[in-house]
Amino acid sequence: MQRLIMIPILLALALPAWSAELHYKLRVDGLACPYCAYGIEKKIKALDGVVKDSVEIRLNDGVVAFEASTDRPIDEATLKTLVNDAGFTLRGVKTQPLVQEDARHEP
Amino acid sequence: MFRQQLRWLRSGDDPSGLDREMEAFAAISVLGYGVNSKLALFGVQPWTDKSLELTVDGSAIERNNQGLGDFTAFARYTLWQKDALGRTFRLAGFGGLTAPTGEDDTSGRFGRLPPPLQNGSGAWDGFGGLVATWQTLDYQLDGQISYRANEFEVGDETRLDLSWQQRLWPRELEGGVPGFLYGVLEFNWLYQDKHRVDGQRDDDSGGDTLWLSPGVQYVTKRWVLEAVAQKPVTQNLNGTAFENDWIATTSFRMNF
Repeated sequence: MQRLIMIPILLALALPAWSAELHYKLRVDGLACPYCAYGIEKKIKALDGVVKDSVEIRLNDGVVAFEASTDRPIDEATLKTLVNDAGFTLRGVKTQPLVQEDARHEP
Repeated sequence: MFRQQLRWLRSGDDPSGLDREMEAFAAISVLGYGVNSKLALFGVQPWTDKSLELTVDGSAIERNNQGLGDFTAFARYTLWQKDALGRTFRLAGFGGLTAPTGEDDTSGRFGRLPPPLQNGSGAWDGFGGLVATWQTLDYQLDGQISYRANEFEVGDETRLDLSWQQRLWPRELEGGVPGFLYGVLEFNWLYQDKHRVDGQRDDDSGGDTLWLSPGVQYVTKRWVLEAVAQKPVTQNLNGTAFENDWIATTSFRMNF
């Protein structure tokens, strides 16, 4: 009985290790005014696994950044389609694993 | 996208000797839907309040009218687009129809109201054109050419619009998506054919007008607020056609 209870607990603990928690940095061409930014932000927030508060747009750098926790990394083709649908052009994608909160505050 | 535009118009320079003065207010609601990244559909519904004062046989009379105007539906399709960092060039075509949904046969104490006072034109109008936009983070330049074919009575129109928007604030861009304050300067040229009355061309109608339109625009991620004043620079109107004094427009636009 005890073993039966432990199996789902262990599975739940193991799940984060299988998921991809990544920081995405998109280089987007065509972002030329504040009003343009809303469409792309809305589409990114609608993606499964995206941390909605993490979406950040820097107009002057043409950068759209966000964090997502997904089973598999979001592939470039999906992001290219999303950016195109919003009316812009994707020039490049950089991803990096999310830094853990406690590690981030280490001196 | 939803846009609400409020527009005031005044025409008071009357060469006919009737001492006509016309004032009009229009509340124009626009609903837009982006079908995909290239195609957008729009519906436009105006509500107008118009009044005309004139002198007949030494007596001043006033005629007025209010109500819903003609409904317009149009589509815009992006034909060509070239993006770079912080800038974009877009060329789009647009076309649509105005349906005679507004009342066009309203009468008052002095008989049927003249066409400019009617809420609707009573005709199906088709229009189309091209718009080119060069937009950077510092400024935006738009050029638009359009043609409107009116079914009867009102003369066909050819328009050429040029608009320059310069970011005034913030002076330097740092990070994020700040609101932008733009200064706007537009040139609007309108040529209108003569109207047709009972199958005959009205020699006291039509002509061309060049407007100079300065304004301001505040743009955020969700909404845009703008105000523009239009003043005619030149008016070459036929016969005793009524000249325009000014048009003032404010509008609010919101993204959904």
